[in-house]
Amino acid sequence: MSELAAALGAAQVTTVATEVFAAMVDGQTGFLVPSPGSSVSLADPLHAWVDLDTEPPGRVQVTADANTADDLTRAFLHMDAAVNVAAADVVDAFGEIVNIMGGNMKALLPQHVQLTMPEVSRQSPSGADALRLLELPLAWRGRPFVITVWTI
Amino acid sequence: MRALVVDDSRTMRRIVADILERLGFATMQAGNGREALDLLEAGETFDLACIDWNMPVMDGLELVKAVRPRPGWDFTTLMMVTTESEIGQIVRALAAGAHEYVLKPFTEDAIESKLALLGLLPREEST
Repeated sequence: MSELAAALGAAQVTTVATEVFAAMVDGQTGFLVPSPGSSVSLADPLHAWVDLDTEPPGRVQVTADANTADDLTRAFLHMDAAVNVAAADVVDAFGEIVNIMGGNMKALLPQHVQLTMPEVSRQSPSGADALRLLELPLAWRGRPFVITVWTI
Repeated sequence: MRALVVDDSRTMRRIVADILERLGFATMQAGNGREALDLLEAGETFDLACIDWNMPVMDGLELVKAVRPRPGWDFTTLMMVTTESEIGQIVRALAAGAHEYVLKPFTEDAIESKLALLGLLPREEST
């Protein structure tokens, strides 16, 4: 079993995600919750990820629809809902969310590992050779937000 | 009081700077340790530097190590603001000269509490 699979289960990942959102996005708990369904469909997905130098290498990826990422950015930056967000701000904010999540997940591993800088793309980075360890469908304010942990 | 926020994420710089400004600091920002050193070498002075760990070009630990021994900069309080939560990493940062350590995710109250402990709340000076 890989380091990641041994250390990160759905409960641990959910705890990390809800703590990040409560502290830095929503100011309180209750807005990021398990999705009612077992899978979600995203019409216009945006992906953000960080890689970990575990053995084998791992990846923490978050995915949401692009308009959800826009609203996440507004919430993260305490911006009014009517304010337009620049694409660069969305990339930076969405990347920082996965960076904080990845950093807190790596703290659960038994030994120190390095995290890469976050990347953000419309294309999912995880190809056919990646092994999905965990997919956690969540809902942020009723909209899909998916966390996936891979070995790559 | 003056504060420098050092983080490669402009989102995080903005969040930390907004908090510090609400607490009464005047802030400047740098996108990595090298940019922060450039500001210091240009003569800027700060009572507080909030420093991310993982940054390109020059990371936060390197910045702490570069700043701490310099005589003119020794009054600047160095506070790491980072996701590096392993105890070994915290010990490394404190041993290198960081004064305080804040883990991401953080709340505004957490930052304010740390600054109060450090005696670095500008608002308190005017009351």
